[in-house]
Amino acid sequence: MIHLLSILMLVVGLTSPPSVCAVVTGSIFGPGSEAFPIAVLPLENLGGDQGGRLGSEFARILSRDLRLSGYFRLLDPVTFVERSESHGFAAAEPDFVAWAALGASEVVKGTVLVAGDQITVEVRMYDVAGRRDVPEVGRRFTGPRTDLARMAHRTADRILQVLTGERGPFDSRIALTSTRGGGLKELFTYTFDQEVPVAVTSLRGIVVGPRWHPDRRSILFASYQQHQPRLFQIELASRDVRPLTSQGVFLSGAWSPDGLQLLVTREVGGNTDIYLYDAGGRELRRLTDHWAIDVSPAWAPDGRRFAFCSARTGAPQIYVMDIAGGEARRVSRTGNYNTSPVWSPKGDMLAWVTRGSGGFQVVVQPIDGEARTITRHGSNEDPSWSPDGRYLVFSSTQSGRRLLWMADREGRTQHQLTSGAGGDSSPAWSAWLE
Amino acid sequence: MRGSRCWATLCILTLLVPLAGACKKRGPSPEDAVGGPDGTGLVDEEGLAGGSPPGSSLARAQQGLPPEEGGVLRDIPFAYDSYELEGEALAALARNLEWLRANPRAKVEIEGHCDSRGTIEYNLALGAKRARSVKDYLVEQGIEASRLSTISYGEELPVCSEETESCWARNRRAHFVVLGR
Repeated sequence: MIHLLSILMLVVGLTSPPSVCAVVTGSIFGPGSEAFPIAVLPLENLGGDQGGRLGSEFARILSRDLRLSGYFRLLDPVTFVERSESHGFAAAEPDFVAWAALGASEVVKGTVLVAGDQITVEVRMYDVAGRRDVPEVGRRFTGPRTDLARMAHRTADRILQVLTGERGPFDSRIALTSTRGGGLKELFTYTFDQEVPVAVTSLRGIVVGPRWHPDRRSILFASYQQHQPRLFQIELASRDVRPLTSQGVFLSGAWSPDGLQLLVTREVGGNTDIYLYDAGGRELRRLTDHWAIDVSPAWAPDGRRFAFCSARTGAPQIYVMDIAGGEARRVSRTGNYNTSPVWSPKGDMLAWVTRGSGGFQVVVQPIDGEARTITRHGSNEDPSWSPDGRYLVFSSTQSGRRLLWMADREGRTQHQLTSGAGGDSSPAWSAWLE
Repeated sequence: MRGSRCWATLCILTLLVPLAGACKKRGPSPEDAVGGPDGTGLVDEEGLAGGSPPGSSLARAQQGLPPEEGGVLRDIPFAYDSYELEGEALAALARNLEWLRANPRAKVEIEGHCDSRGTIEYNLALGAKRARSVKDYLVEQGIEASRLSTISYGEELPVCSEETESCWARNRRAHFVVLGR
């Protein structure tokens, strides 16, 4: 019976189009609205989940993602009217009347079955007011135990897809540099189930400016391994490190959306300019030619334009230029120190860092619209867009040490992502992992 | 580690060839994993290093030592977001110029450093400008350009880390490392 139900759920989950988008009216629907009071129950143990650890971990990760999104108010589990271990999940629908009394609009519950190293997770979401299962969220995952976190992230992204009309950004990774470990900056990666990033390199040569390859399998960075800073690429699975440039001085590089070309910041004779390189590390074209500082090239998602930072007017400002060449057009109009531009994945917005009276803040601006400052406290640097374009990750001293924080692009929500020793900088948010 | 000498040789060869790509460094095998995201361990510097000169701020950091302030030659101070040489900087440069003339075989590396305010990549570019403006001045004064190399460490190797004007000022500098006499 359970098997039949599972197969049915799997079929339903895979074939239904994401047609049910909750119709929520009012002007503040979005991150920060906490429009959905939701209950996330630990997964019921169908066998092999000792102490219910995997079931609780899944609920913890899913709850954290939903909280970070700013669309949800997570109901406190101590108030829950039912416990996942006391009901046969697959057979029993939630007690809708009791959940409605608690104020829940959605209830997420599921099961986990462990067989050796393999786990099978089934998860469903119920609409309390409609007293029904929301089949677009229902999903059955099977995989190694180490995939539990990704199963939770994919569930969170799916719930956001169904309730907000846009897939959530949590099945992704963030590359960053950090001095955790006490020495020079090394490359780390972070996923949303963690509080502490994980070290990838121990190169002892200062790693700066990590950027993802569009295939999400490797990360480009600059490092001082060969005395002067040059570009290297590390493939995450094999841990192969390959120099991309072996002569000259390179401060940063960024892969084109198709992965065929690179924009690089190259220093010659003390001056930095932006160049276009091919994937083999050969120069194709010099794009800027100015005696002032030109740095931080960022591709537009269409691969035809880029934003960069230039001090050609005497102070750093943000400019946009065609890859084909031509005039650089200034897009930052306020402030006398604007750096680190990044182009939103939908192509409609730029974000960068501006220096204000109270420190360095993250600014978001529609390409030809009004700039909005989305951070207020501490020093905030190096923003990077989420794959869905609704959020930014950046480094911030809002809570003291420099840690990773995320905010929605309106600046309504601010969440600290990493904790502990700190020294986290230059986050780069990957595309979705699949 | 098996084959590491072979990789090192490959790396040296690669340095001679403008087009990179052949130099690969393989991380530790999965058996000695220390918990990287893919369980394959940390990638260390072995086989990649071309090396920073002894006494440089990076070489000192690699030995766990703080960057040197001053030394045989004086540090050159800068204003915020500036690479112009002004009063105090010119006075320090006059002293360094004397030393370079008195030690005509000495080669030096000029390091550009920045304070922590500003973006990491912008500060790398600013540090390059600072080192270059010092080099250009010395060349104008008759020092052979071949005796002067430059490098920027941006805000990466500060001498202090307090968020105060006095600490920021100490970090906005060009620092001289004597490579050989």
